[in-house]
Amino acid sequence: MMQNNFSQNLNLRRSVFDGIMFAYLSCVFLVTVLRPDEEAMLQLGRNASVFGILFLVGGIISHILNGTGRKSLGELIFQPAHKKAEESAPLLKSLWGWQLLIFNIVTLVVALIVTKSSLIELLDIDGFKGAMRLFGGLLSPNFEILPKAVLTMIETIFMAFLATALATPLAFVLCFFCSRNVMTSNSGFVIYSVLRMIFNISRSIEAVIWAIIFSVWVGIGPFAGMLALMIHSIASLAKQYSEAVESVSDGPIEGIEATGATKLQVVWFSIVPQVVLPFISFTIYRWDINIRMATIVGLVGGGGIGTLLMLYSGQAMWPEVGTIILVIAFVVWFMDQASAYVREALK
Amino acid sequence: MENILTIRNLEKTYPNGTRALKGVNIDVKPGEFLVIIGLSGSGKSTLLRCINRLHDPTSGQIIFDGQDISKVQGNEVRGVRSKIAMIFQHFNLIPRHTVLSNVLMGSLASIGSFASIFGFFPKADVDKAMGYLELVGIREKARMRADNLSGGQQQRVAIARALMQNPKLLLADEPVASLDPATCHTVMDYLRKVNRELGITIVANLHFLSLVREYGTRVIALKAGEIVYEGSPSEIDDAWFARIYGEGTREVHIQ
Repeated sequence: MMQNNFSQNLNLRRSVFDGIMFAYLSCVFLVTVLRPDEEAMLQLGRNASVFGILFLVGGIISHILNGTGRKSLGELIFQPAHKKAEESAPLLKSLWGWQLLIFNIVTLVVALIVTKSSLIELLDIDGFKGAMRLFGGLLSPNFEILPKAVLTMIETIFMAFLATALATPLAFVLCFFCSRNVMTSNSGFVIYSVLRMIFNISRSIEAVIWAIIFSVWVGIGPFAGMLALMIHSIASLAKQYSEAVESVSDGPIEGIEATGATKLQVVWFSIVPQVVLPFISFTIYRWDINIRMATIVGLVGGGGIGTLLMLYSGQAMWPEVGTIILVIAFVVWFMDQASAYVREALK
Repeated sequence: MENILTIRNLEKTYPNGTRALKGVNIDVKPGEFLVIIGLSGSGKSTLLRCINRLHDPTSGQIIFDGQDISKVQGNEVRGVRSKIAMIFQHFNLIPRHTVLSNVLMGSLASIGSFASIFGFFPKADVDKAMGYLELVGIREKARMRADNLSGGQQQRVAIARALMQNPKLLLADEPVASLDPATCHTVMDYLRKVNRELGITIVANLHFLSLVREYGTRVIALKAGEIVYEGSPSEIDDAWFARIYGEGTREVHIQ
């Protein structure tokens, strides 16, 4: 019964995979043949339903073909373990091989067209001269603004530190609620799923977007930047922490459970000692990442050196920008080295 | 004498469909040193984990100390576990904590969650823990980190942790399977001491028949989730050995 459900689940994934691929390739084909104008391309609802229908057709084709023993790419990826052990036909003599080849070639061609890649633009001599002028400015930095750059860099470092320091305890508490081996009951699974979803969403929103939201909320400045980094850090740390929690060995958990300990005691005495070192390492690394991200967040009004960079680059003052980039590069290099050494020593 | 543990028609089917236990009946008298033998996968570990409810039995009864514990839930499960101690093949100590701290964890059930997290263990418990470390002969290692000890010493720490629970029953899941032959006997001797001097009933899974004959007061053999032999350890001869472990197998002797 369980076995059956499992293999049906795999078959469904295979058909979905093949269906999406079929719909994508068919749409590329349709666009090439019919050459629709821009207005037709913008009809999202209609085009989405065409894609949906093609997706269903593809899924059914995949189901039929795999039924007759021709292995599609989806089948190759999602087939159950016992089938993976079997020898499969060589690349160009199999359905999945052609599928893979056509998909890659078509995608490469479409990508080149969509990104408007052009060797002519890249080799254009005027454009190249413009870039060299900019580089010239960057390479002769104006050190008059160095004190200012250093001061704003310090602001950025503290912004990153506070974001990390505030995010760490929150992520620490939350990570256990989104670890599968802690949330074992049915109601636990609901909390686990909901938290995971919230974290995935807030992580997929870039810190820059959060900075824009918070600069409207609390006003432009380092506070908005710090809040943006904090939100992003909570989600990222909670995910990393919970992965460490999920990979602890079960023995000590069983050992503590067998004494009749409460859930809280089991977590504290059997899981926490096993994850302390990875947690510290993740946290230091997060501070390091936050310093780099704080610069970017500053570009949209999050304060710190990023805002200064924005100010000078907006006025095309390249020697000043050069100084700022030097300061950023030095701090990022230093933090990277320092955090690598500390994390190495902790192992 | 009344049973300390009575198991009736115990069944355990795992979610993947494996039937680990198929209607097991066992009676354990207080003070026994009952040994369970059988091949890997015969259901020995599952049986022990059903008794202290680390696993939920599918059906059947487990009557411990006069109470059916096969279906209790929540806080009651923890109450049951606190009265039944367990030691494991891989010791399951907390590596980065000290030996003393590991032993104190045996008393977690009697201390409030928050008090234990902030490390407030009563002085009486610390004294008791030192006493049990003395009993298993490693009092001088109390301040060392548990992962710096040898396998045999770690298992003795685990015994001390189990004793902290004041258990009526001690379950031992292959307690010497990852130890060398010499250390095996030291650990088994301490288990016998616990059994005889403290009067704690022991149910142990063991692999080596020579150990079974030396330490067990009674033996039960499991094969594919069913009891195939029950009796005195000395009565297991070559014929029985072949029936329990399969034809063509030979006994390994450990001195």
